[in-house]
Amino acid sequence: MGDAKSDVLHGTLDLMVLKTLESMGSLHGYAVARRIEQVSDHTVIMNQGTIYPALLRLLQRKWIKAEWGVSESGRRAKFYSLTKLGRQKIAIETENWERVATTMARFLAPST
Amino acid sequence: MDWIRILLSRCAAFIHPQKLDADLDEELLAHIELATEENRMRGMPEEEARTAALRSFGGVTQTRERYRAERGLSFLESLVGDLRYAARQLRKHPGFTVTALLTLGLGIGANAAIFTLIHATLLQDLPVPHPEELMRAGDDHRGGISWFSTQMYDQLRKNTPEFQELAAMQASSPDNSWLTLHRQGAAELPHGEVSEWVSGNYFAMMGITPAAGRLLQPADDIAGAPMVAVMSDAMWQREYARDPTIVGSAFVINTHPVTIVGIAPKQFYGDRITPYPTDLFVPLATEPLLGESDYTHHPTMQWLYILGRVKPGVALVPLQAKMRAELVPLLHQLPYYSDAPGREERIQRIRLSLTPGHSGIAVMARDMAAGLHLLMWISGFVLLIACANIANLVLARGLARDGEISVRVALGAARTRIVRQMLTESVLLSCMGGVVGVAIAYLVSAMMLRLAFPHAEFSPIRATPSPQVLGFAFGVSLLTGLLFGMAPAWATSHAQPAHALRRSNRTSSGHASLLQRSLVVLQTGLSVILLIGAGLLARSLINLQHQNFGFEVEHRVVVRLNAQNAGYTTEQLQPLYDRMRARMLSLPGVTKAGMALYAPLDGDDWGSDVVVEGQPQPGPNENVRSSWDRVSPELFDAIGQHLVRGRNILATDTAHSPGVAVVNRAFVKRFFPRGEDPIGQRFGMGARKSAADWQIVGVVENAKYQYPNEEQQPMFFLPLLQRAKSDDESMEVSTFYIGSIILVTAGPTPGLEHQVRQALGEINPNLNVNNYETLEAQISDRLNQEKLVARLTLLFGLLALALASVGLYGLTAYTVAQRGSEIGIRMALGAERGDIVRMVLQGAMLQAGLGLLIGVPVALLCGRYMQSQLFEVTRGDPEVLTAAIAALALAACAAAILPAKRAATIDAAKALRSE
Repeated sequence: MGDAKSDVLHGTLDLMVLKTLESMGSLHGYAVARRIEQVSDHTVIMNQGTIYPALLRLLQRKWIKAEWGVSESGRRAKFYSLTKLGRQKIAIETENWERVATTMARFLAPST
Repeated sequence: MDWIRILLSRCAAFIHPQKLDADLDEELLAHIELATEENRMRGMPEEEARTAALRSFGGVTQTRERYRAERGLSFLESLVGDLRYAARQLRKHPGFTVTALLTLGLGIGANAAIFTLIHATLLQDLPVPHPEELMRAGDDHRGGISWFSTQMYDQLRKNTPEFQELAAMQASSPDNSWLTLHRQGAAELPHGEVSEWVSGNYFAMMGITPAAGRLLQPADDIAGAPMVAVMSDAMWQREYARDPTIVGSAFVINTHPVTIVGIAPKQFYGDRITPYPTDLFVPLATEPLLGESDYTHHPTMQWLYILGRVKPGVALVPLQAKMRAELVPLLHQLPYYSDAPGREERIQRIRLSLTPGHSGIAVMARDMAAGLHLLMWISGFVLLIACANIANLVLARGLARDGEISVRVALGAARTRIVRQMLTESVLLSCMGGVVGVAIAYLVSAMMLRLAFPHAEFSPIRATPSPQVLGFAFGVSLLTGLLFGMAPAWATSHAQPAHALRRSNRTSSGHASLLQRSLVVLQTGLSVILLIGAGLLARSLINLQHQNFGFEVEHRVVVRLNAQNAGYTTEQLQPLYDRMRARMLSLPGVTKAGMALYAPLDGDDWGSDVVVEGQPQPGPNENVRSSWDRVSPELFDAIGQHLVRGRNILATDTAHSPGVAVVNRAFVKRFFPRGEDPIGQRFGMGARKSAADWQIVGVVENAKYQYPNEEQQPMFFLPLLQRAKSDDESMEVSTFYIGSIILVTAGPTPGLEHQVRQALGEINPNLNVNNYETLEAQISDRLNQEKLVARLTLLFGLLALALASVGLYGLTAYTVAQRGSEIGIRMALGAERGDIVRMVLQGAMLQAGLGLLIGVPVALLCGRYMQSQLFEVTRGDPEVLTAAIAALALAACAAAILPAKRAATIDAAKALRSE
């Protein structure tokens, strides 16, 4: 549980959660974690528990909201969905991320 | 913008953590269940499904921790946790807690109490709006002009527009100037009240509004205007129960009709902090009629203080210079500067300073400052001792918790976290100590004020600690907490855990650390210093009280009155005095009766420059000052002041016979230093032309008339009613009116006071007794400040001794506990119980001895700073030193005996086994 790793992971994990909620609508925590695992084709192997601090961070910023509901199997669970603010932030965050990726790619490309 | 949302969310979470915790738990549980469900649907058996779900989740506890770390204000939360833990710890060790609290509380309480007293007497602002605008002309303690004549005041007032208002008030203490008054038409006996002459704009300068009626105005302060006065709220309450008809009613003051136009506001106590605040304010213009003498029209009588409210933004230094320049032409009139040589030079050297007047005329500050500063130092010492005690207590406890801390470190606690927790404990303890201290301060302040001012009922000096004092107490306690929390926290956090775990109880040399021992040595040293100081002051006080005053003290009564208030003219005085004398002697138990302008240690003093006939002009730096008094022929006999040469004042020395005087030895020494016979020589007061006014006919022994702790002043004594041939009338007149009657009684005479008042009242209802006291009580009053300082120092000294003993006890007990196994071994090897006791005692006495070795020389050094407070005591007084050392040795013995005894009862086998 290195602290350094989680710093980098913070930003990426938060964005993954946001995108997941954007495409899937309202999900409970477990579903979000499973979905991330699937979408990343299981390259993201994470302790599912780490999803909750990420969800909390997004909640604090009011980018997502939460309410208790009932799952398909009849179990009581907390469901998260995007807020209007969150939708706006996705576009900004995506842009930021793409800019970083492009810059890094330039550096990491073999020099000619 | 996000950070605001985050912060708000964190604050909200901080307030309701339990509900959120429950929420989270439910959510996590749901997650695990959902995962388990999915696994089961994939075909895993129940057990495996669950285990797989938990594994893929990761650590639940860790998730909870990280969640919580993100959620709330983690710093605050851990702080609250620390506080709760610290409180639990303190509750679990009541002995430690109570000792620590008491120690701290007493140390901080003493400091807060002293600070309260200092603030109340030295720093308190006048209860007026914007006291920072008030400026006083004079009294920077470096010889500038501080007293002004009426002419000087008028000059300044008219020509200094930089002041919003420039007011003047009498300089002599109001409780030395009483006016006799009663309500006209009411069945009321005339009574004397503390009064003060003030200028018409005095209240305007203060900026206050009346409680009833109106306050004085400049129109009241004009000669010939109808006479008015303002009463204090305290007097209105005390004498007339706030009767509203008083306002505007006619009174008779010193036989003149005066109207009371209003009442001063409730919290207003005048322009100076004194135990006897002014009850009656009268305009300056009434002074020629109501006063003892006509100071107003006398150009050289400097009888006023000046206090003014400057306009905002005025530069003070140029204002000072301007005021001084305005005064210079008037200074030429003063006789001191009018006698020729060196006059210009002397005038050049005159200075005028503007000093801050926010606390008014700081007379008490001047008188009490030295004593209060000494007390401040002393209470600082006590606080140091208390801190050392606490530090030791905490250190001992910290070292005992070594094992616990090590386990924590081994389990992964961060060092900073542990240090923070221990610091929190210390700070909590000291804050609680601060609260206890403030409570003690409240109690002690009231007691101290009553010690300092035993007769004052309506005193403006409040006993309640102000916000500054409370802030100070808490500041001190917080600082203490941080300071003594540091050492153990730092020490423990750096301990190697394995080391400590292995070490516990296996040491053979269980000595307390150097730090602990030095703290105890420090405590003992400081206690010795305090005890010696207390002893010196106590001795000084005893010397002051039992010195040879030059007069007899037992069986004497002083009756203070003011004959002028009864309206007698000077021609009526001789028969009045004869009648009074006869009447007093006729009272049962009275054997002698003497009369004087003022009696010894009345608090009054008349002084003058003396010019001796036939002697050359004194240089500008020579001291030609002498005090003087007027006495009846029986006075010296009545107070027991012995005649040494020549003759006494006689009944034949009347207003019409040649001027004579009796002088004391100190007078002879100052003015006839070459051994000439003073009898037959002539002298005068003030200017050269009066040098033949008085012929010396006798010499008396020195006697202390002014201050008990000062050297004997030169004094000359004049008959009651003789006038100086050369001097003008107005100045002299007031001194014909006696201020005191001294009665010598055969034995204790209960009821004499009532008889005296009645007898005088029969002669004239306006002959009002202002004060009736035995001479002993009067002297005792003069020594109030010395008594306060001596008593408090003794109190603090004993407190210090108690604290140091507790410290020594604690250290010895700790050492014994540490050396348990060593003692067991010794006893097993054949040591007697007595040997053990001796061993422990030796260790303890060594500490005490070291403390003494350091403390005594330091005390002798510090004695230099205290010398001004000591009367006929050397700072190395051997008796005091011996007593202090003995007291400390005794206390140290007592402190160490208990743990020593306990050490001797250690069961050897048990001690060796308990590892």
